[in-house]
Amino acid sequence: MAAAIDTEIQPSYVDVDRQVQRALAPGGLKYWLWVLFCAFLTALGGAFWTNQIYNSFDITGYGQPTMWAVYITNFVFWVGIAHSGTLISAILFLFRVRWRTAIFRLAETMTVFAVATAGLFPLIHLGRVWFFYWLVPYPNERSLQPDFRSPLVWDLFAISTYLTISVLFLFTGLIPDIANARDKAVGWRRTFYSILSFGWQGTDRQWRNFATVYLLLAGFATPLVLSVHSVVSWDFAMTQLPGWHSTIFAPYFVAGAIFSGCALVLTLAIPARRLMKIEGLITIWHLDNLSKVVLLTSVIMTYSYATESFMVWYTQDPIEMATFQQRYYGPQGYMFWMMITCNCAIPLLLFIPRVRTNTVWLFIISIFVNIGMWLERFVIFVGSLSTNADPSQWKFYVPRLTEVIITIGSFGWFLMNFSLFAKFLPIVSMTEMKEGISWLKQAVREVYPYRKAA
Amino acid sequence: MSAEVALVSTFANDEDCVRGIEALHGAHAHDFRAFTPFPSEKVIEASQEARGQGHSPVRWFVLLGAITGFLTAVAVTIGTSLEWNLNTGGRPVVSIPPYVPIMFELMILFGGVSGVIGFFLLSRLPAFESETGYRSHFGSDKFGLVVRCQENEAQKFETLLRDAGAEEVQREAA
Repeated sequence: MAAAIDTEIQPSYVDVDRQVQRALAPGGLKYWLWVLFCAFLTALGGAFWTNQIYNSFDITGYGQPTMWAVYITNFVFWVGIAHSGTLISAILFLFRVRWRTAIFRLAETMTVFAVATAGLFPLIHLGRVWFFYWLVPYPNERSLQPDFRSPLVWDLFAISTYLTISVLFLFTGLIPDIANARDKAVGWRRTFYSILSFGWQGTDRQWRNFATVYLLLAGFATPLVLSVHSVVSWDFAMTQLPGWHSTIFAPYFVAGAIFSGCALVLTLAIPARRLMKIEGLITIWHLDNLSKVVLLTSVIMTYSYATESFMVWYTQDPIEMATFQQRYYGPQGYMFWMMITCNCAIPLLLFIPRVRTNTVWLFIISIFVNIGMWLERFVIFVGSLSTNADPSQWKFYVPRLTEVIITIGSFGWFLMNFSLFAKFLPIVSMTEMKEGISWLKQAVREVYPYRKAA
Repeated sequence: MSAEVALVSTFANDEDCVRGIEALHGAHAHDFRAFTPFPSEKVIEASQEARGQGHSPVRWFVLLGAITGFLTAVAVTIGTSLEWNLNTGGRPVVSIPPYVPIMFELMILFGGVSGVIGFFLLSRLPAFESETGYRSHFGSDKFGLVVRCQENEAQKFETLLRDAGAEEVQREAA
């Protein structure tokens, strides 16, 4: 009886392997043209950055009082994007949430490349980028005081740790899947997978250690993800600037990070599952669950925006009130209302089950959320700096071509890395999918006699 | 003295594989290796029990790494603050609360890196030679159990493995 029931469960172990292997098949002309296009955007961004280094920040829209603008917006946007990957891979792993299995690898990959993209922006933001290492507190003879009280130094530690742990978490989980791919590959791919799999063979000793280290990494990644975006928020909240100096920033930033990240997972997963023909693995059920997370975090964001504004009104601090009035009704107030539309109003459509199970709607909503969350960072950082505590200094920042192209270049860089990864390494975890199938088989076996009796 | 052989048995699911491990344990054969396509808790627990092992020692690597990271952060933050003794408006030179994020991050960093190093060492990775009896389908859809034994005991173990539900049992030189 058990065998008969087992055969009814789809996909089978072999189906999982077959579908993931198919996604690893050599890319066609369209794939390489896409990668080339992304590489072109990256190169263009690189060229504009080189030009900026050569000609200084004079060619950008930067200037007093807005010395943190699009680059820091991009930094926080990309760090935030990264967080949902850790949420899906680590936090949902600890809670044994089954729907994560098909999408967590994609989300983790997104995390690693998003942090790698975010890490570029503090460098791009520097006028003399070759002195970036001055942020690293190391003993020196230049009378530089390593100031551990500075949130910027915390951020250096937080982001470096986050990137390292994310890479380790992704790579550790990949080893068994790469070994599986190695056993079926031929030619140079076999050599490539042999090197990356470190000779993994799935023995009970290896799995025993794997299960422990994976669990502990997940346990570490969970508080890490909360700490990293809290530290990022403190880059702002620790200052005295009106609009930034707020205790709500840490939880507000973490919720926003998960919101934007889950939306980008949707943006990536919807075309990826179709182009790579893995609809049988990443199903509508997975997208539906993910969109519920987007909906939940959207509601949390709405509450946070309301609380933030309420706190300003309740304190009746004239400087804070002036900043917020400019935020809502100033010359760049339209950005705030666009942000509210994208982050608070449009995601409410996800309350409708038909929208949550329609990939076109989900894709469109996820794009709006991405735009909204980018605007949120812009409104908070740039808007608050533009309208600081001294009205005589007020000046509204407008990005110039350099910032725009470098921002577009960062998307090219991210998508290029992601696309290359998805073609050469398993984008869906075969081992965890099989674990899920095994769990499902057992559940069916246990429930079947009761259902039959009923 | 008879020669040593390896019996390579293939199972369709982890429950049969666990039965095989328990049968080997009952027959006092502990020189075995199980292969599974995913981290089957049942197989891991059965093999740990058969060998009388506790949880993986990887956790000690993680603990030691985390403690080292924490102490490193304590030393770096407090040490450098004392070295660059700068009086800023009478505030304490060593002010612990702002150092907590550094201590936390380094604790996680060192703990994670040390855990992964421990995983590689204890799993004997990188492995340059294939384990005896490894078959590629053990990484795909089958569960394997390879036991080393003397040739004169092979028939007994083969019967045990088949009774446990092995689909196939092959012999090869150990």
